Amino acid sequence: MRRGLALLVYALGSLRRRARRSVALALGLALATGLYASAVFLADALRAEYRANLDAAPDLTVQRLVAGRPALVPEDALTDLEALPGVRSVRPRLWGYLFVEAIEANVVVAAVEAGPELAPALATGEPLGPADALGDERPALVGPVLAERLALFPGDGLAIPDARGELVLLRVRGVFDPATALQAADLVLVHEATARRLLGVPEGEVTDLAIALAAPEEAPVVSAAVAERLPMSRVVDRVALERAYELTFDGRAGLVAALLLPMLAALLLMAWDRFSGLGESERREIGVLKAIGWGTGDVLLARLVEALVVTAGGVSLGLLAAYGYAFLLGAPGMSGALFGWSTLYPEPELAPATSLAQLFSLAGLVVGPLVAVALVPAWRASMLDPDEVIRGG
Amino acid sequence: MRTEHEGPSRPGSDPAAARLRALVIGTLALVVLASAAFAHGAARRARASRAQPARAALVRATGLPDLALSSTARWLRHPSQSERGAATQDLPGALDTDPAGALLGPPFPPEGE
Repeated sequence: MRRGLALLVYALGSLRRRARRSVALALGLALATGLYASAVFLADALRAEYRANLDAAPDLTVQRLVAGRPALVPEDALTDLEALPGVRSVRPRLWGYLFVEAIEANVVVAAVEAGPELAPALATGEPLGPADALGDERPALVGPVLAERLALFPGDGLAIPDARGELVLLRVRGVFDPATALQAADLVLVHEATARRLLGVPEGEVTDLAIALAAPEEAPVVSAAVAERLPMSRVVDRVALERAYELTFDGRAGLVAALLLPMLAALLLMAWDRFSGLGESERREIGVLKAIGWGTGDVLLARLVEALVVTAGGVSLGLLAAYGYAFLLGAPGMSGALFGWSTLYPEPELAPATSLAQLFSLAGLVVGPLVAVALVPAWRASMLDPDEVIRGG
Repeated sequence: MRTEHEGPSRPGSDPAAARLRALVIGTLALVVLASAAFAHGAARRARASRAQPARAALVRATGLPDLALSSTARWLRHPSQSERGAATQDLPGALDTDPAGALLGPPFPPEGE
């Protein structure tokens, strides 16, 4: 115990004697690890957000492609698909994008039923209500970011140009909760007739069809049957979608992380140089220690502690800074670059989803090799004749 | 070659104890910060799970599971609904024009097996 404590004190003293180099190295490691970890934290949190909502997505979505682009689907395709075995229900969906010049942003317009199922998602106001009971009024539910940008509250009027450029007056009935900003930031939910008017979709046609299956595992079979019935269709399978998201995020977050790799590599190289090369004074120090009776094991242990304090300290600081940057500050700079030229940023409150095992493996990947590499030159120096080392031979 | 040496210790001060104290204080500070981060993370996750039913209700109503991370291009706003090559439809083989493409590209073909 006393011996261990003495070794620890010696290692700390050795670090203090080279304080500037040790601090620079720890800060460099903290920066490199922190940047890399921020990308990992953000990607993991976003992947978790996607996963959380996939269950609520339709089992299959049927689109129609004409000239390689999505085209409107005739509503009568619905009856064809409803008859397929394994299909529980088919819901026509009407949604699309509308560019609002006033805010120079695209909003997502979607038609929904009047039902109260959306009430828990609203921060203020109430659901749309039945379409036929409202006369000429066109009620709308708007997303929190859009509402904030246009300073909208329930009861306000919103004149929005439709696909033909004519103004349509919507009456804001409810504003979605900021907690749903990742789903609803730029959303305008309206009744079917309003959506047709805004998006310019003629009667008898819809954007796509959402299919609910009796057994979701039958998706590949039903997809094939749908493609046979509607030759120009593209069927999006929820299970395959889940896999696609994993691949997309793994690949793309990997790309972001890869951009940081040269920096990480440079830092690791610097640390390698610091730990693997022993200066004249350090060699002499080891010679003196050997001369006063230290064993090779003692020298190696002191060196191990020294390397561990610098690398583990630097990496822990980096991980903590990455957490603060990603989840307390909202990753300024990085999120802007990653999320693109968006005009309606949701400023999401992401929940951390990186596991402890991932954190430890990230830290281990940096600390392990550096500590290992610090031992080799110390071992070599401690094998030399103390007299020769002290005399500078 | 200049080396930095510790000066003579002041009477009454023990350099060994001071070094150990610094290590303990540093470690404790890291542990406290890490605990605070874990507590904050747990609170965030709890808030997210409270908001989950509302989020799921929205996804069920619209049928659109994509996150509103980027509202400029449809392949970034709704990657799950965009067809293959949507990002480069007008210029096949071109790089994404939006930096968000570095995070959210057109997904791997999500069509059936």
